[in-house]
Amino acid sequence: MRTMNPRHHLGEATLLSYAAGALPTALAVVAAAHLSVCSACRRQLRLAERIGGGLVDMQRGELPAQQAREAILARLDEPPAPAGASMFPPTTVADDPDALPLPLQPYFGLSLRTLRWRWLAPGVHCIRARVSEGNLLMLRIAPGKSMPVHGHNGSELTQILRGAYDDQLGHFAAGDMADLDDGIEHQPVTAAGVACICVAGLDATLRFDGWFARALQPLFGL
Amino acid sequence: MMDSDRSTTKVAPFEAARSLHKPPDAARHEWAALVEAVACRQDRDCFLRIYDHFSPRVRRYLLGLGGNAGLAEELAQEALLRVWQRAGQYDAERSSLSTWLFRIARNLYIDRVRKEPVWSQTQEYLEEMDLDGPADAGERPGTESLSEEANIHRAIAQLPAVQARLIRMSYFEAKSHQAIASELAMPLGTVKSHLRRAFLTLQNELRCER
Repeated sequence: MRTMNPRHHLGEATLLSYAAGALPTALAVVAAAHLSVCSACRRQLRLAERIGGGLVDMQRGELPAQQAREAILARLDEPPAPAGASMFPPTTVADDPDALPLPLQPYFGLSLRTLRWRWLAPGVHCIRARVSEGNLLMLRIAPGKSMPVHGHNGSELTQILRGAYDDQLGHFAAGDMADLDDGIEHQPVTAAGVACICVAGLDATLRFDGWFARALQPLFGL
Repeated sequence: MMDSDRSTTKVAPFEAARSLHKPPDAARHEWAALVEAVACRQDRDCFLRIYDHFSPRVRRYLLGLGGNAGLAEELAQEALLRVWQRAGQYDAERSSLSTWLFRIARNLYIDRVRKEPVWSQTQEYLEEMDLDGPADAGERPGTESLSEEANIHRAIAQLPAVQARLIRMSYFEAKSHQAIASELAMPLGTVKSHLRRAFLTLQNELRCER
């Protein structure tokens, strides 16, 4: 995967919950997409995992039951379980500029070129992936387009894959992460030139007014 | 049985030495030496010392996540079996044994309950990216300094009560920000800011020994 130098990162609370295994799946997938291109956030993730290690270590110790000890001793000669079939597609071309970040591939396929977009609204296309918790969406927004002002009822993570947008929080380009919560209302405007493609994970619905809410209704069941 | 009994008698002095007479670095080295003995010689006594110390702790961690004693017991056994089977992959420079086991147990649990087997594979992929990174240890995302374990224990114990509670709800109950906010009737933004402050405090402890 290409190395990037993102300017917008995962928030500390998000990283901590990712390390704890506490992020809803849709958000965890998008966080992993960012982690796959951001060594700074991976460093933070390792720190957050050390907190988990410290907490495990601080648990009260006691000698395990003799039965459990014998059970594990009996299993030491077992051959290791064969690795399960990889959920990742077998061939990923590392230098393919259209390759999706690997953590997204089980949900959306290999490449930006093979996505099957659905028309959602003028200039807006979308793909919804199936996940066990939350909503996971890929969005393609035409260049130079102003999205409606919207807020969030919960947390939203958006990783930019292609193109860029600007909003009240700054300029977001490929590799950047927008880690938003219910305190933020924003109006992204996509940059001129190429369409902005991003992947978003949400644990609740967005708050839109007007036409966009109606357009999103079939996606979110608003 | 003979091996088990012999190991049990060895555990007590090892534990005593760990807690009373040796600095944490020494304990850290001892765990690493035990894992190495498992990797190189398939040493069952050394494995049982690891097992006796960590399996109750891993089981308690898993019990908090799921509240199901049978599943916690099964996955704790599985996690410790992974230590036996993958001891050769353990890198003491990158993480303490407790952090390695935390990751193994967490991944086993998430794969089991979410039924989305991509989680573990994604974590392995991200870890491999770190291995391919710069050779300078200071720049490698996984490098963990030896004094950190004692620091993190102390820092966790000293967190303000509300932050400590949210840290426990995150790590030991795997509760999302939203779930914590609902349970404690706390605004989502407040949950995040408490967790953020706790992480920054703990990070400082983890980094100050570098």
